[in-house]
Amino acid sequence: MNVAARMPRSTVAAQAHPARSRNSASSRTNSASSRKVWSWLWLALGSLYFIVPLLATFLFSLRGKKGVLSFTAYAHVFKDAQFLTTFTFSIEMAILTIVVGLALIIPTAIWMHLRVPRARVLIESFALLPFVIPPIVLVFGLIRLFSRPPLALVTSPALLVAGYVVLSFPYIFRSVDAGLRAIDLRVLTEAAQSLGAGWSTTLFRVVLPNIRVALLSAAFLTFSIVVGELTLAVMLAWPAFGPYMALVGRDLAYEPAALAILSFLLTWGSIALMQVLSRGIRGTNATEYRGRRGSLTGGVH
Amino acid sequence: MAYVELIDIVKRFGRHTAVDSLNLAIMEGELVSFLGGSGCGKTTTLRMIAGFESPSAGRIRIKDGDVVDVPPNKRGVGMVFQNYALFPNMTARQNIGFGLKVGGKSAAEIDRRVDEMLALIHMEELGARFPHQMSGGQQQRVSLARALAASPRVLLLDEPLSALDAKIRVRLRSEIRAIQRQLGITTIYVTHDQEEALSISDRIVVMRDGRIEQVGTPFEIYNRPATAFVASFIGSLNLLSAAVVEPATGALAVDGQRIAAAEAIQGAAGRMVRLSLRPEMISLNNGKADNNHLSGTLANIIFLGSIVRLVLRLGGNELFLDTFNNPHLALPAIGARVTAGFPREACILLGPEEQSGSS
Repeated sequence: MNVAARMPRSTVAAQAHPARSRNSASSRTNSASSRKVWSWLWLALGSLYFIVPLLATFLFSLRGKKGVLSFTAYAHVFKDAQFLTTFTFSIEMAILTIVVGLALIIPTAIWMHLRVPRARVLIESFALLPFVIPPIVLVFGLIRLFSRPPLALVTSPALLVAGYVVLSFPYIFRSVDAGLRAIDLRVLTEAAQSLGAGWSTTLFRVVLPNIRVALLSAAFLTFSIVVGELTLAVMLAWPAFGPYMALVGRDLAYEPAALAILSFLLTWGSIALMQVLSRGIRGTNATEYRGRRGSLTGGVH
Repeated sequence: MAYVELIDIVKRFGRHTAVDSLNLAIMEGELVSFLGGSGCGKTTTLRMIAGFESPSAGRIRIKDGDVVDVPPNKRGVGMVFQNYALFPNMTARQNIGFGLKVGGKSAAEIDRRVDEMLALIHMEELGARFPHQMSGGQQQRVSLARALAASPRVLLLDEPLSALDAKIRVRLRSEIRAIQRQLGITTIYVTHDQEEALSISDRIVVMRDGRIEQVGTPFEIYNRPATAFVASFIGSLNLLSAAVVEPATGALAVDGQRIAAAEAIQGAAGRMVRLSLRPEMISLNNGKADNNHLSGTLANIIFLGSIVRLVLRLGGNELFLDTFNNPHLALPAIGARVTAGFPREACILLGPEEQSGSS
């Protein structure tokens, strides 16, 4: 891709300097092929950087039995009752977080796009806060605020979900925002309204189906954050998957490696699922842009 | 009796007044165009009729009912947007049927009506296509069918053709007009393209700076423009500065050459007025006795296909004149002295020197 994108620029340069053009024309094919080699090399290095540790972990996880490669560590993990309960708990929390997060952020983002586009700066800076404030600070704040009546929520899973919603806010907001930017939200809602649709019909039949990919990516990002989250779960004392992984990592040798591989598989599975579910939606915007370009050529006689 | 009535409509955005005390009555079954440059308030007015903007002051009546407080989804107004605005997740059929489905019609009724609409726009075979599988022209046809499916009281079109290629634009506009006539639906058509407005409308509303400059049939607007702006906005036009010689007889002087207008001129002799002449009303070396004549130097010849446009220089004035092209056309050389003739009736006087918009 990179090489192809750069090709025209070298052609332009050759035209700009006719005196040198023959020279560069002969060297162009050379430099193009050498660039190709370089880009493959960088790609290979980058891939190694990701794959080698993963492969090492995987091989390590297979050494549960001395001398042979086996899935013993995986068997141990799956046999552990803790694994199942903590994992289920975290999945439940993740689903709740996704539901609450989307329910809060979708209307906010739509409202921002339609009514107060200038609020974007404010909302975007809010969306950055979870990156600036460490989760440990967030959780202490939550504990202080919600441990006394009338807001004694510290033992309720609602507080955990609320914390997770805050943590996933940047990801959900950015996904939904990108989705809404990709469609012509204002015109689509106006078209729906002029056809007699109320707000809920417009939302569920027109807006949401057209930002499906964005919603899926928001959901899967949130899922992957919440399932492995440690700080909030530990400090609020919930038997979640994150603390379980930390515990296993402290006490055992091969099982943590197996867990790491499993959680990678989970993430990849999510991404694959997202790709499958979003198929068939791509390319919807292409014609619209073509139409827009047409408007430049038309007009006054 | 007016079907759609705009009464003293005002729309302000902050300090800017987009639409200023606009009054207009539109008859049932009429196609009225709002024509003007960008920022003239035409789209804002349309959006107020649709209900997407509410007027700062004034009333809007549709079929005797005031609709200012009625939300857009209850107005019974169909709208076609510039960039089609089809729902990307729905096929052509589903798009067209959307309004009916929302309106709670039965599946059989929706099917029947959608078939009818697809036949109306000559797209019977393409009902299963998604918007991204259709060309711009097809998308806009579907958009029109969608707006019409639920039988709205008024059809609003917001520059529906400006995103399309020139050829499709011309074809689709006559199709829109044919469908509008066939259904007899009251229609408001917003455009910045004067040719489009002239060809499609029963009446044209020329707008500038949030105000109406002139309302009239295409014939009236073109042949009897009320203001310099309308004259220069519609069609191409010569604007010459002329001195009044004899107000009573309509005698004028352009570059020292005497001509006469068909009617008496208001004002004193010696005053400078602006004289407008359509290029197609002027011909070369016309010999008719009662014609006006102006001599000048041929400065340029512009070949425009079916017509050839000559540019004459008369002192400080430039005069364009159009002549039909034909293979045997013998044209004078550039720099030659030529005489142009035009009838007295071609002279449109637009009052004293005043600033006008660009053509």
